[in-house]
Amino acid sequence: MNSTKELTIGFVGNPNCGKTTLFNAYTGANLKVANWPGVTVEKKEGAMRLHDETYRLVDLPGTYSLTSYTMEETVTRQYILSDDVDVIVDVADASALERNLYLTLQLIELGKPVVLALNMMDIVQERGMEIDLHRLPEMLGIPCVPVSARRRTGLEILIHTVAHHQDKAQGEKIIHHHDLETSRHKDVEEHHKYYAMVYTDEIEDKIDEIGERLKNAYPELDHLRWYAIKILENDQEIRERYPLDFSDILDQDYEKEIINQKFGFIEEIMAECVANRTKKAESTDRTDRILTHPVFGLPVFLLIMGLVFFLTFTVGDWLKGYFEVALEWMTEQAAAVLSAVGAGEMLISLITNGIIAGVGGILTFLPNIFILFLALAFLEDSGYMSRVAYVMDGIMGRIGLSGRAFLPMLLGFGCTVPAVMASRVLENPRDRLKTILITPFMSCSARLPIYVMFSELFFGDMAMLAAFSMYVLGLAMAILSAYVIKLADKGKETNMLLIELPEYKTPNAHTIYIYVSEKVKDYLSKAGTTIFVASILMWAVMNFGVHGFTSDMDQSFGAAIGKMLVPVFAPAGLGYWQIILALISGIAAKEVVVSSCSVLFGIGNVTTQTGMANLSALLGSMGFGAANAYALMVFCLLYVPCMAAVATIKRETGSWKWTGAMAAFQLVTAWVMAFLVFRIGSMFL
Amino acid sequence: MRLYEGQKGSTLQVVHMDLPLQTERRLEVLGMLEGTKITVVNRKKRGAMIIKIRGTRFAVGESITKSIEVKEA
Repeated sequence: MNSTKELTIGFVGNPNCGKTTLFNAYTGANLKVANWPGVTVEKKEGAMRLHDETYRLVDLPGTYSLTSYTMEETVTRQYILSDDVDVIVDVADASALERNLYLTLQLIELGKPVVLALNMMDIVQERGMEIDLHRLPEMLGIPCVPVSARRRTGLEILIHTVAHHQDKAQGEKIIHHHDLETSRHKDVEEHHKYYAMVYTDEIEDKIDEIGERLKNAYPELDHLRWYAIKILENDQEIRERYPLDFSDILDQDYEKEIINQKFGFIEEIMAECVANRTKKAESTDRTDRILTHPVFGLPVFLLIMGLVFFLTFTVGDWLKGYFEVALEWMTEQAAAVLSAVGAGEMLISLITNGIIAGVGGILTFLPNIFILFLALAFLEDSGYMSRVAYVMDGIMGRIGLSGRAFLPMLLGFGCTVPAVMASRVLENPRDRLKTILITPFMSCSARLPIYVMFSELFFGDMAMLAAFSMYVLGLAMAILSAYVIKLADKGKETNMLLIELPEYKTPNAHTIYIYVSEKVKDYLSKAGTTIFVASILMWAVMNFGVHGFTSDMDQSFGAAIGKMLVPVFAPAGLGYWQIILALISGIAAKEVVVSSCSVLFGIGNVTTQTGMANLSALLGSMGFGAANAYALMVFCLLYVPCMAAVATIKRETGSWKWTGAMAAFQLVTAWVMAFLVFRIGSMFL
Repeated sequence: MRLYEGQKGSTLQVVHMDLPLQTERRLEVLGMLEGTKITVVNRKKRGAMIIKIRGTRFAVGESITKSIEVKEA
């Protein structure tokens, strides 16, 4: 078998059927990931070789049906119908065969070669369930291959089957749909010859009639039966594409009837082909008794989240420390090498303060990102993540967010960058945008030094309380924003919890590896490029003035901008150009606000006792008191997050428009809140 | 009775669904139609539930469980 053309295999299946695991088992991490033309649905493509043949594998979006109600469905069916696909591999979760077969029947109806991959056979066996692998292909009329993507069994056999099934063997009578044996339909033998799924006489007559008319009007059209069924189902897209008059045939809604008859046939298949179904799923039920318990479900979830948080930030920050040391060493080395070769002051500054500081700063987040996604992959692959939506549904639902949005919000207390990335656990794009919008309000750890310094300077014994109040205020702002959006959304209620809960299983190392490495690569490449440009820009603003390059920050454009903005910030108690400049520099990274203050006010060792006393005295002489300090803390809490976070938001929303709108929203919120706090605070402090 | 009133462990049969078209269609392709049997696996006070349809578990929100008319199977 030496075909010149490589075979293209389309992988189709329900969400959670292990399709991606199977796909990865063949292609490894060597994927081309892009979007389907015109839509934001991800398209994954890979290649593999077996016995000197090359196969092109395309992973289609997970879908339950081939109607045209969602983007995933439309993309999937259009691609399958195109000439690009030679063979369809329908991946089914064999442990939930009944539901998976619905898509299988629709795929068979398309009339292209289909091979059913019965995935998760290991789980089927574990549970003592048995599937009749001789009867099942007889009833469906297609090859059925047992595989386990996790254990990597049956993989080669599946591809063999695909290679041999590409020219669908026709002519044999393939099925026995018992309910229809009494049929008096004129072509019943003919139908049974080619189609697994044969409907009642009434429907078959109509399918024939529609098919006949389509054939006359569009002689070139392939897959006539499928189009006829779609028209009988009143599929809008197909009706519009072939606008013939079928009003005499479509005298009522046949869609439900067609679905019902398909599930009727599936029940028959299940009864004949699957034994010992009752024993299944007991272990999942036992686990769920605790994990989704009406009372204990919540504390268990909080405990698990606490652990994720601890690992990400405690262990992550510990590793991050080493990265930072390495970065410092690199900066020193670079500076030494550069000055040794006689590079100018400006170039040294650009490379060390601009590029290494900016891009290197991104690299230091790597341990956090890595650990976070390791933990998420673990939760996702074990099947727990889907349960979170259920456990948190009531609480988050009240502010119009999906239950899963809790996770990014919690992570926001550690660092906005991984938190925004974690919003990927949300399926609905609208929910993701909402979550990304409010996540930066969760006070990240980089903002803590600002609170510590200013609350110690101005609030004495109440310092702890003042700093802590920032966290509460941030949370309150996040909830308030979500609530306002919910009210504005009234009428188009999108939050209808409906999600499949897969069986629990032991997480698979390979799946986790692929998941984590994809996220890490993504983070480095996408955020990295944006950050590279942004760090050069920030460096230029801070190091260039009207007289060109300057190492004196108060001669820079930044300082000029700060002075210009004094009237804008004055009403909020922040009308000091040094403070404004420190805030601008804080966009590079929030903790920079502290170091900038020390530079701008000319006070070394700002974190020591004497340094603080000096700064306090200096600020006091400028009329900057406790109310100003609190307003500054509030502003730092709420205004635009750091460059790395903004770049991540851009990456995750895929839109500068949204990123800009969010930044504007945060700036306005920060100013308004600082203004209110300052005005009210001035009355008491 | 409505689905949300179903007790944990009980098996019910769908009589009628009173949902937005989009949601109803999503449920239909999951195999939940009039006449389908549903098992209540777990439930929360406000009406969110974990149910089993044709061997698969789903989490459904109260807005859905309150809109589905069921009877004892």
